[in-house]
Amino acid sequence: MSGDLIPFLQNVANGLLIGGVYALIGVGLTLIFGVMRTINFAHGEFVVLGMYCAIVFNQALGWDPYLSLVIALPAGFLVGVLVQRLVLSIIGDAPEESSLLATLGLSLIIANSLLLTFGGEPKSVLVPYASSTITMAGEVYISVVLLLAGVATVVAIGGLYLLLNRTEIGRAIRGTAENRLGAELVGINTKRVHAMVFGLGTMLAVAAGVALIPLLFASPTTTGGVFTLKAFVVTVLGGLGNIGAAIGGGLLLGVVEVLGASYLTSEYRDAYGLIAFILILLFRPQGLFGRTVQRV
Amino acid sequence: MNWNAVGIALMLAVGVVYPFILPGYMTVGITILLFVGWATAWDTLGGWTGQVSLGHSFFVGLGAYVVALGQNRYGLAPWWTVLLAIGAAAALAYVWGRITFGLRGPYFTLSTIAFAEIFRLIAINEKWLTGGATGVFIASLPEPFGIDLFSRWTQFYLALAFAIVSVGLVALISSRKLGYELRAVREDENSAMAAGINPTAVKLKAFMLSGALTAVGGGIYGIFLSFLEPHVLFNVLLSVQIALTAIIGGRGTVWGPAVGAVLLVVAGEVFRTTFAQANLLIYGMLILAVVLFLPRGLVGELSRRLVRRRYARSIKS
Amino acid sequence: MPEVLRAEGLSVRFGGVTAVNRVDLKLEEGEILGLIGPNGAGKTTFFNAVTGFLLPDEGRVMMFGRDVTREPPYKRAREGMGRTFQTERPFEELTVLENVLIPAFLKHPSRREAERVAREVLAEVGLGDRADQPAMDLNLARRRRLELARALAIRPKILFLDEIMAGLNPPALREMIALVRQLQDRGLAILMVEHIMEAIIELCDHVIVLASGEKIAEGTPQQVINDSRVVEAYLGTD
Repeated sequence: MSGDLIPFLQNVANGLLIGGVYALIGVGLTLIFGVMRTINFAHGEFVVLGMYCAIVFNQALGWDPYLSLVIALPAGFLVGVLVQRLVLSIIGDAPEESSLLATLGLSLIIANSLLLTFGGEPKSVLVPYASSTITMAGEVYISVVLLLAGVATVVAIGGLYLLLNRTEIGRAIRGTAENRLGAELVGINTKRVHAMVFGLGTMLAVAAGVALIPLLFASPTTTGGVFTLKAFVVTVLGGLGNIGAAIGGGLLLGVVEVLGASYLTSEYRDAYGLIAFILILLFRPQGLFGRTVQRV
Repeated sequence: MNWNAVGIALMLAVGVVYPFILPGYMTVGITILLFVGWATAWDTLGGWTGQVSLGHSFFVGLGAYVVALGQNRYGLAPWWTVLLAIGAAAALAYVWGRITFGLRGPYFTLSTIAFAEIFRLIAINEKWLTGGATGVFIASLPEPFGIDLFSRWTQFYLALAFAIVSVGLVALISSRKLGYELRAVREDENSAMAAGINPTAVKLKAFMLSGALTAVGGGIYGIFLSFLEPHVLFNVLLSVQIALTAIIGGRGTVWGPAVGAVLLVVAGEVFRTTFAQANLLIYGMLILAVVLFLPRGLVGELSRRLVRRRYARSIKS
Repeated sequence: MPEVLRAEGLSVRFGGVTAVNRVDLKLEEGEILGLIGPNGAGKTTFFNAVTGFLLPDEGRVMMFGRDVTREPPYKRAREGMGRTFQTERPFEELTVLENVLIPAFLKHPSRREAERVAREVLAEVGLGDRADQPAMDLNLARRRRLELARALAIRPKILFLDEIMAGLNPPALREMIALVRQLQDRGLAILMVEHIMEAIIELCDHVIVLASGEKIAEGTPQQVINDSRVVEAYLGTD
């Protein structure tokens, strides 16, 4: 009995930790959609930008990825704000399809610019503690890298919670999300809120990229798409626009992927999330917890 | 003056002489023609009916694999397997559409990506079906009337035929009942229903036509490549390229996708010399430009201006 | 006169709210029936349920004696139901002619025939000279006539008009009233939801009043206007 339990707990633990990072990515996406009704197809590319940021600083200065957050976070925020100001705000209230296409274009631009700058070879960051583990309850081994990612996730989401619920800006954001017109009537500068929110969303994505890079190889043109898709799976699982649900969705995806790969065939690891995604779109479009996708 | 017929005649003329004038650019020519056909086929669903699919590479791969495997495993000649591919594509499009047409706009698009991804994983992993990730090599092809199907010249003319059929079909339906039904469904489903149109039936017709045509191009593409790998054929970037070609050129127009194909493939080739692999950069920049400034695409914006000018002139007289 | 449309005990509920509560209605051939009531009375909901754009929770809809309650709108269109929409939704990207061509295809699949019918209908509503204009460029009055043309192009036997007079200036209003009268003379049965009393009084043979989802009165326009319950309903809900 306990022979099966340990590996199972191991898997669940791993799944939760990696799910935390997925949650981070998903929260960024769902925040953007919830406040701006924008479908950000370039979200995964921002994750990749975070990855390359860590790679660059690691190769040039030997920095640990988490150290490069000092640069990556503000840079990510800034890029997000710029993108929103220069591109997305022009689209304004046009149908969601426009933002989908515009951000699709952005994702191609970012991905291919990265390709031109860094070449096509997959890159990663090898940290000295890459194979270290911590043991919990005597028998469950948790990789230090994953654990750090989990910590980063908690810190980031905790910070976001504080921002949204304890600050003036947070109130403005929540107001705009609920009712844009109403928010403007009470004097909230929704344009500034939109720019901020997009910046926040991309910042979270960048942070996730930094946390992930010790775990995998980044390839300029394919990795972004993978994470964009995962982000959508996560947010739809939870319900677009619902942050708490995105967290739940992320954790769920992480666990489903790890368990699915262990107990069922591992080649279809990515497929489980996709199938769940389609099923939810079809049968419970409001997500497992939330309410947004509308059916015809 | 039936301008569409003129355009097609022109396409035929240019196409027939192209190999003689630019024999060194056959691959580019074939690529252009394939994209003309694919983008036009995509557009029947994405432009005329308004359902944006980012999963059409599935049909390309389907066509290619059916032709390749039909030849390798069962000795069936391409002209038979292409028919098989058409049938399979239409059937799968029907099922796929039935399942997902209830989803609104962007969510339908997301579902097409998810579906295509799942199919790609199946193609990579199910060796018994597709030969797996290692790929399939078309060793030999029949020679009808002594024609060598492996020759670039033959493939070019096949692709030309594909492109002409694609554009021709769309031109035909554009002025007929089906063409208008498609557009009505795209514009407003409720008004369409009030006019006696069954939106789901129409969308399914569009999807089946779109998928089947794309698969035909896929079959030709398979012969052109002669070595098929799942990650090349069921590639989401290919889907994106096809969709963007039609959107940039102009959705819902007869010639928009064709114009987009010529423009983007040529630009891609030009960029390839300077930017190597990153020729998709131009797709990204152009789609941004289109969304921001030319929402109906190049041909769409042009034709809208012409329609207005024609009307203005007609009331002056 | 024979009955062409009947609604029996029609109810529509949204969540906990009952928008329409057991409403009956009867429309005879060649008759113009008006449906009025204060805002929020459930007129549009009822209208959508009768025309098949909403599934009622209770009750039946019969067209020419056949139960069509669960039939989708496009089937009913084939059987002779034509309707306009309150927020006119022309096919914006198409020309006026093309807008009318689409419904004309229903009974005339050939392009040439459909175009002939479409031009006829456009002439009838007075849009003949605007055939090649993009629909999105039309002003309000013309958009209304386009709505009407689209409904007429399917050669309906029953016409459902959803606030087709709203917002029209006096000359346009007179024209539209005359047009509807003409349609009745051609033998169409018409059910019209309206707020413009002038139109109701002039056109309707019979009027039904809805308030808070229930039928509170019916009769000739004169009877209904003088009915105290009706007056109260309009004044009370402000």
